[in-house]
Amino acid sequence: MAEFSGAASIAGIGATEFSKESGRSELQLSAEATLAALADAGLAASDVDGLVTFTMDSSSEIALARELGMGDLRFFSRVNYGGGAACATVQQAAMAVATGMADVVVAYRGFNERSGQRFGQVQGWAATQVNTNGLDNAWTYPHGLSTPAATVAMQARRYMHEYGATSQDFGRVAVADRRHAATNPNAFFHGKPITLEDHQSSRMIADPLRLLDCCQESDGAVAIVVTSTERARDLASGAVPILAAAQGAAPDQFVMSSYYRDDIGIPEIGVVGRELWRQSGLGPGDIATAVLYDHFTPYVLMQLEELGFCGRGEAKDFIADGAIEIGGRLPVNTHGGQLGEAYIHGMNGIAEGVRQMRGTSVNQVDGAAHVLVTAGTGVPTSGLILGR
Amino acid sequence: MTDLEQQVEAIKARGDSPAREALDEVNQPMIRHWAEAIGDTNPRWSAGEAPPAMAQVWTMYGLDPNRPSTDPLHETMRLFDEAGYTAVLGTNCDQTYTRTLKLGERPRITSRLHSVVGPKRTGVGKGYFVTTTSTWVVGPEADPETVATMTFRVLKFKPGTGRPAVDRSATVRPVINRDTQFFWDGTAAGELRVQTCDACGELRHPPGPVCPSCHAMDRGYVVASGRGSVHSFLVHHAPQIPGKTLPLPIALVDLVEGVRMVGEVDADVQIGDDVEVWFDRIDDDLTLAKWHKAGTAPEVAVQEDPASDLPPFALDITPTFVVSTALATRDFQDVHHDRVRAQAAGSRDIFINILTTTGLVQRYVTDWAGPDAQIRSCALRLGAPAYPGDRLQFSGVIVSEQDGITTIDVTGRVSGGDHVTARVELTRSATTSIQPRGGDRG
Repeated sequence: MAEFSGAASIAGIGATEFSKESGRSELQLSAEATLAALADAGLAASDVDGLVTFTMDSSSEIALARELGMGDLRFFSRVNYGGGAACATVQQAAMAVATGMADVVVAYRGFNERSGQRFGQVQGWAATQVNTNGLDNAWTYPHGLSTPAATVAMQARRYMHEYGATSQDFGRVAVADRRHAATNPNAFFHGKPITLEDHQSSRMIADPLRLLDCCQESDGAVAIVVTSTERARDLASGAVPILAAAQGAAPDQFVMSSYYRDDIGIPEIGVVGRELWRQSGLGPGDIATAVLYDHFTPYVLMQLEELGFCGRGEAKDFIADGAIEIGGRLPVNTHGGQLGEAYIHGMNGIAEGVRQMRGTSVNQVDGAAHVLVTAGTGVPTSGLILGR
Repeated sequence: MTDLEQQVEAIKARGDSPAREALDEVNQPMIRHWAEAIGDTNPRWSAGEAPPAMAQVWTMYGLDPNRPSTDPLHETMRLFDEAGYTAVLGTNCDQTYTRTLKLGERPRITSRLHSVVGPKRTGVGKGYFVTTTSTWVVGPEADPETVATMTFRVLKFKPGTGRPAVDRSATVRPVINRDTQFFWDGTAAGELRVQTCDACGELRHPPGPVCPSCHAMDRGYVVASGRGSVHSFLVHHAPQIPGKTLPLPIALVDLVEGVRMVGEVDADVQIGDDVEVWFDRIDDDLTLAKWHKAGTAPEVAVQEDPASDLPPFALDITPTFVVSTALATRDFQDVHHDRVRAQAAGSRDIFINILTTTGLVQRYVTDWAGPDAQIRSCALRLGAPAYPGDRLQFSGVIVSEQDGITTIDVTGRVSGGDHVTARVELTRSATTSIQPRGGDRG
């Protein structure tokens, strides 16, 4: 894998504005983000020969290629499992580039997830799909366990029971995210920090999860341009090398309901973490800042443990003194995360990782040489380590 | 006292309305239409007598939208309509009958407003319970003969102010295939089935086609004891979930057999609590395994087939039935025949009217008691609406038999719960002399 590490780089990032009602189609959003990312890289649509997105994305690769007048596509791929796909789209792109299957691959994700189909509502289609995912959901949805927040709440309650974590500990993640979002002009909650008291007084959604433990629902799109590091060095925005890229699923894995293992945590992100360290030759001590997928606050604590930033059950102590806020030992989600900036299925977090490596984040971590980015947890997931 | 309350008091103070005569005398064509629609084959209804359940039919207004200002129910409804309490739901209809009406008789009705109670917070919305009492008489004005009485209660409420109605039939359905069918067949049969590998004996839930341990595909199941403990739980508050009442506690249960399962649970559990399974039949297609704390009764009673002294009777409700019975009872309210208007009013579909429910309950009882039985009184309490596509299942329990009067409690159940519970009093012989009861005349 040494050959893979650093062979491909992120050369461009692009996004639409993040809103609650974009007023345009999902395909248009993805096209706008792709054009912005190509402009950032100093490349043209005609340079693109590969496209990757999520299986959940409503805009096909060929539809996007048509809109932008792209030429021959040599590589196209889709990744399953909701937000767990985010970093894996970049992994797919990087593997295609590193193996010479494609020269310039764009990973994209665009949706009207607030003004259109809202993931926070009960997704009837997920329960009625006639495939193994639908069969899996038969053990939860008919019982009323049918929203992402509720599925996480089941794990969060057990985590609290096992390790003594509290709702306040979850709240500290939200406070950190919203502090970072407050200084990010692109964040939906720009200028709107919260206190722990705000978190504690927010209404229950799925006890023990409160409203402010749950990420936003957002409209928008993000695109990431991947090409060889060699080529990227000469492009407009330079290269952010992909030092490691991994997917992970653990034994007896389900989508948001892996409840039948001895420990109902999120070992799948541990699978990703071990592979990231192996590929990059780095360890937790080498990571200056991280973007940890924060659709729900408890998962940020569990990720810190699974990735080895602290021991099992110790995340509540790790974050107690503001370690994950800017200025702390490991600033997390410096763009504001999906709780503060926007929920673009984790793709906006990859863009923030790129900004940290370029030194252009609104909450720049001085001297950060490596950033770790994760995708949606509770599902088969993925992660990246980016460098300079 | 508010203006509304003052106006209500004024209507109450009027007492009995002037007698209003039926538009037609008791006649065979209307009786025949009614008996055909209800399905009541009692030969007495083609031999000069009218069914007691038709008492109200004779004095229905029909399609004419105008109502005399002397009608206390309609005047009260008008007051509440103007105050924003525009929706109406029948809750109780208690009738007593002195004797059957005969062909050629022309009953007169007098009504009075008995009481208005509220405002109350109810499941459907903020509203008032409006109770009227009515009496039907025949004969000369100087010496009227009471033939029937009615106490009628409706809830007049502000639409959109209640808890959203929970329609259990909207529960999300499981995708089932040949690997999982046995589990759902089990819940329907009142068994909690756990897959077992016939080769190595390993238990497994959720089930699948291959044993992950030994790769055998020869599998069966064991029936679990239904005991376990809470591994974790949550309480769902938002958003709404189809078919469920919120807040909704859901647990992950460690079965004593060693597998785990998700299911609804009592509200006050904690991790580690012992729980026991119970089976909640949603409808013919779905029964859910739910959990309650060990040593306590489930918070919702298990819906078993009710004990019945009377032979059960099931009626498959069709749009034709709903519409034909509404018209045969001269009830032209749009919610009983116009699906679009019914849905606009917040209903799932058109639904059976109260006069028909009254007729069905009495038909059910007299089909059992025989044509000579005489209904003396029928007190209805109304519940879940009866929609087309559903099945209305009647059962009846004899409460007492004394002084020549048989008292029967009738339940008419639909998938949404009890459509009607009714207490019916009857005498076994039509010739038994019955004195009018005092009745609730306010």
